This record gives sequence, structure tokens and C-alpha cells, in this order.
Amino acid sequence: MPLQSILMQTVPTAAIGFLFLSVAMVTLADSGVGVDTWRANKLDPTGGQATETLDPDGTSWLAPGQRRSPSGNLYQNPTEPPHPGDLSAWQIYGMFDLGYLHSGDQKYVLYDRYTRWPTDGPALGFDVNAERPTDGSYAEARGSRISVEDQYYQAVYGQAGAYKIEAFIRDVPNVLSTDARPIWNGVGGNNLTLPGSLAPGGSSSAQVAAVSAGAPLQRLEVDRKKYGINLSGYLTPAWTAYLNLSDERREGARPYGGPFGEDWGGSLGAVVETVKPISDTTVNLNSGVRYAGQSWRTDLGFSGSFYRDKYLSYSFQQPFAIGTFAPPGSVSAPITVGQMSMEPDNDYYNLHGALTRVLPKNGELSLTVSEVLMRQNDSLIPPTNCQGVIGIGTPTAGSTQLGLQNLGPQNPGLIPCSQWNTTAALSQRTADVNLRNTLVEAKLALQPITSLSVNAGIKYFRQKYDNDYIAYNPINQNYGYLTENGVFFSTFGVPASIANGNALNAANPLPPVIGRIRPFILSMDEYNVYGGVSWKFSERNVLGLTYNFDQYKPTSRERERVDDNSIKLTWTEREIDWLTLRANYTLLKQSGGTYNGDVYGYTYLSALPGFVAAYPSYVPGPGTVDALRKYDIADRTDNKIDLMATVVPHEDMTVTGTVRGEWSRNSAVIGRQRYDTFAATLQWEWQPAPATDLSVYLSYDRSNLDLSNVAGQFGAASGVLGSAGYPLANQWWEGDNERNYSAGTTLQKNFRLFSVALSYNYLYSRGLTSYTAASPGALVYPQDFPTIGSGFSPMTYRVNSVTASVIVPFTPRVSFRLFDYYERGHVDDWHYAGFDQSLVYGHELYTDGGPQSYSENLVGVFISVKL
Amino acid sequence: MGCWRVSLACVTALWSLTISAGLEQQAPSGQSQQNLDQIYQSLPQTDLSSDRVAPVAHVPQPAPGFARAHVADNPLVPDARPVGEKTCIACHQLETSHFTHTLHALGLHVANRSDPRIPVCEACHGAGSQHAGNPQAKGLIIGYTKNSGTTIEVQTKTCITCHAGGPRDHWVNSVHQLNGLSCSDCHNPMSKFSTEGLMAKASINDTCAQCHTDIRQQFNRRSHMPLPEGQMSCDDCHNPHGASTNTGNPLLNGPLLKTNTVNETCYQCHAEKRGPWLWEHPPVRESCLNCHSPHGSNQASLLVAPVPVLCQQCHAANNHSGALQTRQNIGTGANPEAQVMGRACLTCHANIHGSNAPSGPRFHQ
Repeated sequence: MPLQSILMQTVPTAAIGFLFLSVAMVTLADSGVGVDTWRANKLDPTGGQATETLDPDGTSWLAPGQRRSPSGNLYQNPTEPPHPGDLSAWQIYGMFDLGYLHSGDQKYVLYDRYTRWPTDGPALGFDVNAERPTDGSYAEARGSRISVEDQYYQAVYGQAGAYKIEAFIRDVPNVLSTDARPIWNGVGGNNLTLPGSLAPGGSSSAQVAAVSAGAPLQRLEVDRKKYGINLSGYLTPAWTAYLNLSDERREGARPYGGPFGEDWGGSLGAVVETVKPISDTTVNLNSGVRYAGQSWRTDLGFSGSFYRDKYLSYSFQQPFAIGTFAPPGSVSAPITVGQMSMEPDNDYYNLHGALTRVLPKNGELSLTVSEVLMRQNDSLIPPTNCQGVIGIGTPTAGSTQLGLQNLGPQNPGLIPCSQWNTTAALSQRTADVNLRNTLVEAKLALQPITSLSVNAGIKYFRQKYDNDYIAYNPINQNYGYLTENGVFFSTFGVPASIANGNALNAANPLPPVIGRIRPFILSMDEYNVYGGVSWKFSERNVLGLTYNFDQYKPTSRERERVDDNSIKLTWTEREIDWLTLRANYTLLKQSGGTYNGDVYGYTYLSALPGFVAAYPSYVPGPGTVDALRKYDIADRTDNKIDLMATVVPHEDMTVTGTVRGEWSRNSAVIGRQRYDTFAATLQWEWQPAPATDLSVYLSYDRSNLDLSNVAGQFGAASGVLGSAGYPLANQWWEGDNERNYSAGTTLQKNFRLFSVALSYNYLYSRGLTSYTAASPGALVYPQDFPTIGSGFSPMTYRVNSVTASVIVPFTPRVSFRLFDYYERGHVDDWHYAGFDQSLVYGHELYTDGGPQSYSENLVGVFISVKL
Repeated sequence: MGCWRVSLACVTALWSLTISAGLEQQAPSGQSQQNLDQIYQSLPQTDLSSDRVAPVAHVPQPAPGFARAHVADNPLVPDARPVGEKTCIACHQLETSHFTHTLHALGLHVANRSDPRIPVCEACHGAGSQHAGNPQAKGLIIGYTKNSGTTIEVQTKTCITCHAGGPRDHWVNSVHQLNGLSCSDCHNPMSKFSTEGLMAKASINDTCAQCHTDIRQQFNRRSHMPLPEGQMSCDDCHNPHGASTNTGNPLLNGPLLKTNTVNETCYQCHAEKRGPWLWEHPPVRESCLNCHSPHGSNQASLLVAPVPVLCQQCHAANNHSGALQTRQNIGTGANPEAQVMGRACLTCHANIHGSNAPSGPRFHQ
């Protein structure tokens, strides 16, 4: 849908008026609002610096010790300054980089993830600048092309200190799989059909496996194409305004799901990994005005975002002949199709403002207010897309198949799809869901004496969720929905199906099935109070203490109240010439109200008025085990440290070390019990000469996550851990421990005839998921108990990459550049174990073969011309 | 324009003179006091007041962004007087060759010609007379280096003089301010070290990585945001100058985020995940960080832990979600299970972020 149409349909008139008023002034996406703050690609992630060479003259004749930032890091050596040429009143400088890229034919998802290297193809880069010193006007055109799917171009025009106008276009690839074998026709569209060799709902595993094995490998990716215009400017020396407008289109396909129950016993259900089409548009705008005076500051803005999906849903044929518990003489109607809803068209509006009063003695008092509305009212799809009949029944004599002719009292387990495959089967045709967020926050900062700063703040945040949907079918007066594409009807027959909430339909003789019929109402309030002091006990030594209290009150969670109390200690030490040290320690304790694991009863059929009267003997079962504590709201204690030290061992060197750790303990018997992370890095940077930069880093990172769970019984009468429904014998424990080791180096150096930029990066990650179980009852397949070992095989990822760029100048303005990028990756992920042999397991069909190990090299040759 | 060029020519000549006087660019420590004295004596007169009669008639008014620029206040030398750019260039020719093509230089030069009271170098470095007389002494000019003698407060206050408000509206009490960072830890306006933003390093990401190396390494993991590929920057999610709202609950409101909540930050690029949905998944609506590690992960899709481990932290309803999945349930095991293989739980609960299908309460459709 064109941008203009979307705007006219979705943006209120007032917003449009504000938007175009702002056009007259306006800014770039900045660090305060919006995205698109950087445009580059893997050929040069810096967006232009890769073609530059270091200036052998450096920056300064100052003493080397004065080339450090206040934190002690060496300031970067500059590249050679431009030598502009005159064109009328303009000074022109820049470069063109024309070249050719060559890489291997094989494509690998981890190598190509966000980059579309061509096998062979031209590449382009340019950065042209124009400046008019007479009035401060300037213009820049910059861009880079790796391939059609991976390129960006932008143009900027402005006047320094007055205004700036920018337009850009960019293509970003997002590769999801390079070894997918979808068996369907129509990949990329919203109707996936099986090839003629497979009968929908009637094929054996072997037949499906044969088709899967013969399906050609496909690359599944989503390409993002984005256009944008950014305007910013000064209205007066104190007032500025900005407007950023963009339109992003995503096209492609990705692996997705397709459930038809579980694959019970290899025949009773089916699970298919389908391919979801991606075709959508998002229009974003950010606009606002800002005032910065001597006594007052304000920041008023409006942001909007409007998402539109081409499809409401996509459908897919299901190949497997799903088994049934049909009694002798009866058969089940085959389940042949399924559907998946797409993301709804939705709108986002954000009106925000901040007002700050500058107080004496470096004080400030500010008030921030924000109101957000997220809304969607997209059309709803029917509960199912089946045709004919579903369920179990006795076919007409002489026939083996069920049809509409078999409907009737003689086959109570057979229902017509027409009762469910239409939007007339819905209580409402559109979703009509709103989410409002309100934020009010006041902050105060004071500096009563030079060595002491104090600050305090109070915040209120509210989320209001409105959704009145109820799953009710006016056609047959049933409450509920058809779960998993209706497979339960055909597997078990209607009486045993779930989520067919027909309890209050007296005309229906079937017993009630207690399914969900209402949505979760996820409103919340958050109250936050905080304050702190900073004491400068010497000119370059500062101690800080901050206290923070946050209370989170969700309307529909296991706790009505969650309290966070935290203190943070900060120490910054810059007294010693050769050292800058920053140390932070945080202690957080989370507690709250009574934990109740069964809080979602109001969403179930049994909560309907009249249900209790109709079924007085009904006793709701437990939703889960009572000992479970969901980690986001459970009682928790966190200890966190953050240390950074920048050391100056020599006037041309810096060594930086960091240590970060967080130790989190949840008081949960069932659920997450521990989550610890720790990272340490060491970095050395050396600038022995203006045209030589060398750096080396080492990094270690680990995480440890522990949890416990218990295999409950279906239909458990009690949720007490240790009861028959959740026996202690079924408890098990699992730990996911991950280690990451990184190292790398970069070198940039000018030699007499050429300059070189090299970088090497190494990462080795090893994740180990280990487990223990109290007894075989903890397992899905108890018979596996003797052979489960202590965990999964290690999940590893090892990658080595080398980037090399050699620039050989022919003349002061023309140079040759050789670029090489080599990357070797090894991945081992047990999720995909065996997928190289088959993608079909019983009634499970997978499409994505998973990430592959690889070794790839890219070579590029360029001619660079400086203007 | 002509006047400007003449000034440069004069300065260039002076520079040649100083070079011929025996000054070595890279060896200041070896300079004799005699040579330094010669330099100081040869410095040109200020161009701020005494040698400038009036602004050139056709030069435009200062652009509003530079109209408030003035000689920066240096509390260490309240009596210093401005000397003008010519004087600075006499010694700092090399800096000038880089500085000239920055946006600051472009705007300040125009503003200076429009209004001689608006300085160029001294707008940021303060009045230079005492520094010119004794360049080795610390603190006589506002310096943006570790041992310059200028306090962090003076450094940041000088920048804020022109850059107050807007994205920097909440600098006071931000985590970077409380940790004693200066603007020039991240920005270096003396040259175009970066294509945009006058960063201290070649890009925003490289600049942040000076201190946040461990975070930067997370982007090298198997699944990550497209930051190493240059397709986005730290600034897309974070405002290093200070967030408009306090962190509060660190799960709901991450550090230095550009929006009010974690989720609103993610929705900036993932609008399709925004909903609100007909059927919501509570932890998803609460915070994307409940399941995702935003900088990088060795699991698919930036997940905190492998599926089903991730899901089984919260789901223990019965044998379906509460049973232990083992190595015997993967593709090479004795009893392969859909809950472990491929997308694992998400093959069936595909619309895990929320569903808009009437039959989607469990995210199957």
C-alpha cells in the first residue's frame, strides 16, 4: 500500500497537520528518537572509513600523553584530510570506489545472515561531499552496493547550524535458511499446496519422506527495503524541530509452524514445519519541536508507526494420513488443510513531552509525560479453513469416506466445516484490541555544594489493555474454538476433543470441554521512586549511592504485586594519571504479594455466567503445579558488579580491562532457580606512530541457568507438588551452561608504497545442557531412562574471520584496493541432529535443515578515485 | 571568502617561518625555551576585535545553531582574553587541516565572519591568551584530554552551551554522567574520524565498544542483531546521553533506552510483533527480554536458552510441557520428539508472540 494512502487512512488529521508543520523546520534520526542512525554494510561497517588511509602527520605536535580522551583511551589517529577542489563557490571532495566481488557458489545461513555477497558481481561505493564556506551550506551523497539485496544510498543537504535534509534508501537481507526443503508449491505466497504425488491427509510417512528428500534446497530469506526522509532545523537559536518519515517493506518467506496435534505414537497427529510468507509495510514517523533556553527546556514530540500485512493468513495442505480412535465400523474424516494467522495490521501513536526548569547551583527539575496508543482492529479469520466435514462417523454403506451426507444424529461426532470455516462463526468480525501506555515522571537534581550532588525522581507507568473478545460461535451456539486445525475431532472424536466449549448449549448433548474463551487482560501499573547522592571527595574521585524502588502491579499475573528494591554503589577514580577506574555494584531484591499459579480461570469457559448452575459438580483442575515460580515475578536476589579500568602503561598504549557479573537467585522449587552471567575482557591498543594502529582483545563470557520441573499427569486433581498429579518422583533438574571465548586483533598501517588494514576475530562458544531426573516418570518416554545420559551433546559455534584490505596508490587521487574476507564457521546444534539424513520423523515434517558449518572466502578488487 | 583565504595564506606563511625556526612537529618535549619564545613573539594579533573593523557586508547572519556560541568560560583562567583563530592556527596548523572539514568548522567560520564576537577555536577551548603565553601549563585552555587540567564538568558544560536539550535533555544523572564520562570520551570534533556523528572512533559501534567490549562480542554470536554488518548501531536502541525515563524495573525498562519500555524499543524495527493481539502471551507483552538476549545469542533467534529449556522455565502444566526432554528425543535419538527438534516447541506454538486467529489461544494458529 502506498505510503500516502496509509497515512491518509491511519494518521489522525491533527497528526498530519503537526507533521507538515514540522516539515518546515526539521532533523535526522538522532540519539533521542527513532532508528536508522547508521547506514553501512559488511563491506565497510564504518560507512566510508575503510577506503581512507591514516594521515602520517597525525593530529598534533602535542605531547603524546595529551592524545587521550578524558577516560584515558587513545584518540584515534585521523585519516588523511581531504584536498577539496573548487566548483564555483563550492568545495568538493570525496571518493568513488568501483570494484568487483567474487565469492563461492555455496550459501550458508550463518555466513550470509545479513549480507548478500554475490557469487560474482560489481560493487560500488561512493562518498561525495560539497561545502560552501560562504554560507555554511553542505551536501553529501553516500552509498554502497554489494548486491541488489544489500545496498544503501543516501543524500544530505543542509546548512551548518540551520537545517538538514536527508533522504535514504536501503536494502537489508535477512537470511533464515539456506538448506530448506519445503515440499509445497507456492512458497512465498499464502497458499501452500502439496505436489501431486502426495495426497492431502492421505500420505504415508515414507511417501512424505521421499518427496522431502527430493525437494530442491531453497534459500528462505526476508529482504527489508526502506525509504526515508529526515528533516531537522533551527527555528530560532533556542527552538529546533525535526521530522523523520520512513517506509519499510519486507518481502520473503521464513520457516514457520503447522500443528495438527502432537505426533502421538507416530500416527495420531502431525507436525509440519511450513513456510510463512512475509509481505508487509511499516510506515514510521517521528516529529517534534525542542526548546533549549537558559532557564527552560522542553521536548515535545509525536511518533507514529503503521504496520500493514498483505495477508491475513496463509493456508497449507497437510500430507499425513492421521490416525484415529474411531470405533470399529467408523472412520475419521481426513484432516487435509491448516492455516496460520499473520500479524495484524496495527497502529502506534506516541505523544510525549518533557519540560525542564534549570535551577540554581547546577540543579534541574524536569517533568516527562508520555501517552501511547497501540491499536489493531484487523479482520479476523474463520476458526478453521477445512472443507466438508471433520470428525468421526460411520460412512454410507459401501463407502469408506465421510461426507456431508453423513451428518445427523447418527453421527454425533461428525460436524460440518461450514459451521466453523466462515467469519459468521465468530462473535465479532474484527479484533478491536487497544493497548494504552501512560507515563508520568518527575526528576530533581541539585548540587547544594560543589562536592555533593543529589537527585531524586518519581515515576508512574500504566498499561491499559482493552480486549472484549469472546470465542463464541453464533451459528451453532458453541463456545470455544477448533484447536490445531480440528485434528482432535478426527483423532478422538468430538466427545474427547478439547476446547470445544459447548457447555451452555443445551441442545448439544455433548459434555463440556473447558477451554479458553476469553483473552488475558494484561493491564498493569508501575510505581517507581528513586534517589541518590554523589560525593566528590576529591577533584577526580566520586562516590555515588542510588536507591530504587519499583512496584509492578499486573492485573493478570500470578502475583498482584511485585516489588523491586535495589541499591547501587558507584565509584569513579581518575586521580591517578595512568588509571581511570569505574566500579559499580548493584544489589536487587525482588519480592511481592502472594503467588497464585491459577489466576487465569476467568478466561475459561467455566467462568461464564450460568456455568456453575448448569454444572454444579464441576471442579476446576489445577492450571499448573503450585511450586512453580515464573522467574520474571518470582522472589529473586541479584548481585551485580561492573568494573572498568583504563590503564596507561606507556604514552602510546592503552590497556582496558572490564569485568561484569550478575548473580541471580530465584527462590523457586519449580522453575528458574539460578541465572548467572559473567564476562571479562582485556584490550590493548597501541599507536606507535600516526600511521600505525594496533589493537588486541581477549574476552571470556559465561552464563549458567538452572531450573527444575516436574512431569505432571493429565487431568491432575491437585496441583500440589508431591501429590498424585505432580509426584516428586517425576521431578527433574536441568542446567544450561554456556562459555564463550573471543579474541581478535586489528592493524592499520601505512607502508611506503601501500597501506594495510587487517582484522582477525575468533569466537568459540560451547553450550552444555545437562539434566538429572528423579525417576523414569520424569520423562516423556520412561523407557529411555537408562540411556538418557547426563545431558545433550554440546552445542558449539566456532568462527574465525579475517578481513584484509590493501590500498596501493597509483597517484595521489587514484588507488587500487584489494579486499579479502575469509570466514570459517563450525556449528553443532542438537535441535537439527539427523536432519542431514531425513526431515521426516513419523508424522513430523521439517523444512529447515538447520545452520551449516562453512568455510567461505570473498575477494574484491576496487579502483578508488578521490575527487 | 577572500578574507578567509588571505588569513589562511598568512598563517601558512607563519607556519613555514616557525618550521624554519627549527620546530619539530613530533618532538615538542625537545623544544628549547628559546624556540618557544620565538614562536610566541611571532603569533599574529587576535582577529576577534583589534584587527577586525567590521563584518563583511554581504556575509549572512550567523546560523541559529551557532548564534549562541561564545568564548567558552574557563574558570581556571577567568582573566584570559580571546586571541582568535589566526593565533591558534599559528601553532595548530595540523589540527586545522583536519578540523576545517567538520561541520563545526564550517558553521563557526561563517558565524565568525558574520559576528566577530563568535569565536572558532575558543568557542570550545576558551580564551587563549594565557595558553598562548604558556602553552605547556595545564588548564590555561579548556582541554578535552585526560590530563588537560580541565574538569569533566567544565568540558561537558562547554559542549552543552550549544548542545543543550533535545537528545541530551536527560544527561544529568544519566548512568554515563554519574560514571564521570565526558562528551569527548565518545566524540572528537577535531576531525571526521567517523563518516557521521563526529565520533571518537570510526563508527558509533566502535565508539561504544571502547568500554563495552563484552557487549560488542555478543554481537559475534550465532544469532545477533545486524550490528557487525554495519546495518544498525547501538544508538538505534540506546540513547547514550540519557534516557527520558528511569530504568525502574530493569526487565520492563532497560538501561538508556530511547523509548519508555523495552518492548517499545524493539517494536521500532519489529512492528509486526507489536500487536496488541487477540490472544496475548503474558511474558511477551511484559518484556521481550524474558526470552531474548538483545545483543546476541548462540541459540536461534537471540533466545536466552535453548528451546524447550527456555519454555520449561515457566510451563509445567502436565506431561506435555513438564516432562524432561532428553538426548533420546532428538533426531538421532530413540524417540524423536517435535518439542526438541528443529524449532522445537515453536513448530506447533508458532505464533508465540501472540495470535490473531480465533483458534489461536495457544498460539497454534
